[in-house]
Amino acid sequence: MSEDDRGAPLARSLESFQENIRRSGPVASVGYALIGAILLCGGAGYALDSWRGTSPWFLLSGLLLGIIVGFYELAKTIWRR
Amino acid sequence: MFALLLQEHAPEHAGETAGKFDAGKTIIDHVSNSGLDHPLIHLPTIAGIDFSVTKHVFMLWLVAAAVFIIVTATIRAYLKQDRLVPTGFMNALEALVEFIRDSIATPNVGRKWVNTYTPLLLTFFVFIFSANAIGLIPLFDVLGLVNHFVIHADEQSFLARVVHGGTTSTANYNVTGALATITFLSIIVAGTKAHGFVKHWMNLVPHGLAWPLYILLIPIELMGMFVKPFALTMRLAANMTGGHIAILAILSFVFIFTEMFSQAFAGIGVGLAVSVPLAVGISALEIIVVLVQAYVFTLLSAVFIGMAIHVHH
Repeated sequence: MSEDDRGAPLARSLESFQENIRRSGPVASVGYALIGAILLCGGAGYALDSWRGTSPWFLLSGLLLGIIVGFYELAKTIWRR
Repeated sequence: MFALLLQEHAPEHAGETAGKFDAGKTIIDHVSNSGLDHPLIHLPTIAGIDFSVTKHVFMLWLVAAAVFIIVTATIRAYLKQDRLVPTGFMNALEALVEFIRDSIATPNVGRKWVNTYTPLLLTFFVFIFSANAIGLIPLFDVLGLVNHFVIHADEQSFLARVVHGGTTSTANYNVTGALATITFLSIIVAGTKAHGFVKHWMNLVPHGLAWPLYILLIPIELMGMFVKPFALTMRLAANMTGGHIAILAILSFVFIFTEMFSQAFAGIGVGLAVSVPLAVGISALEIIVVLVQAYVFTLLSAVFIGMAIHVHH
């Protein structure tokens, strides 16, 4: 952003909007990563179960793994700063 | 699982089920891809993959071609001018390019890499936005009405197949999955370009921990690598499907009430009082969702690329 725009209200609000985005981006992504991890690992477990006929063990361990991975991503983002 | 469910229902047609209105079937039939036994264009099966063109593939090509031609033509025409003053559509395009560069790319990937990753992010945004937006416009449904009353095309013809409802190609998990795969690969490329191949993989895990922790952390981090693009895939596809389902569900109240009281008056009353106003409201919301989802996908891709470049522990 150039020097002469700085006084304009629109430019300033855009600047603070950008700042908000920059800070909220990683946090927004981690909420989806939490549910995404559970769905991905749980889905993989379900697929393995229906392939090998070992219901429900792969599904359960997949869900557990998904929860671990999801919460790990969450913790990593929160404790970064 | 949901995609499988959709595919199972796809071949059956709602209108043929003994005259009784089945809201679920109609909705699923509308939002799902056309089945492989009724593709728009039959193509041969090569190496076990059926290359037949279905509704979603057709929409995908249509959007990609439209975006490519419109953007290229606009910029060609702009560069041919004597004085480089943007007019008309070029103005909008320039504002968009600047917006993506200044408020998505720069804050996340940093000034050094802006020019490397802005083209990718712009492509994501323009393509996703166009695909989402065209899905909202009932192009093929209007064509279907014209066909029904005027043209009367043959049931097997291309036109009759294409008018089985317009669709949003980004509501298909395969499309968004492919987009997220590009993000996934570009994260690796970004990390490799910024830190070198070996260093990028070492950056994935925090440094300076006791070695037993690494046995736990490395698999978890590897899983996390796949989870992020997967979340992108699910969110975009689910959002686009969800909006359409909501609109269709509310509109099908008209037919449900007509059947329940077995007179058209009840259905029309419910339609005028509840369904149409609500559907209009949700359509308005969808316009925002279309923009926001394209924006979020682009932003999160930028965030992930930025995280690979600026590693801090």
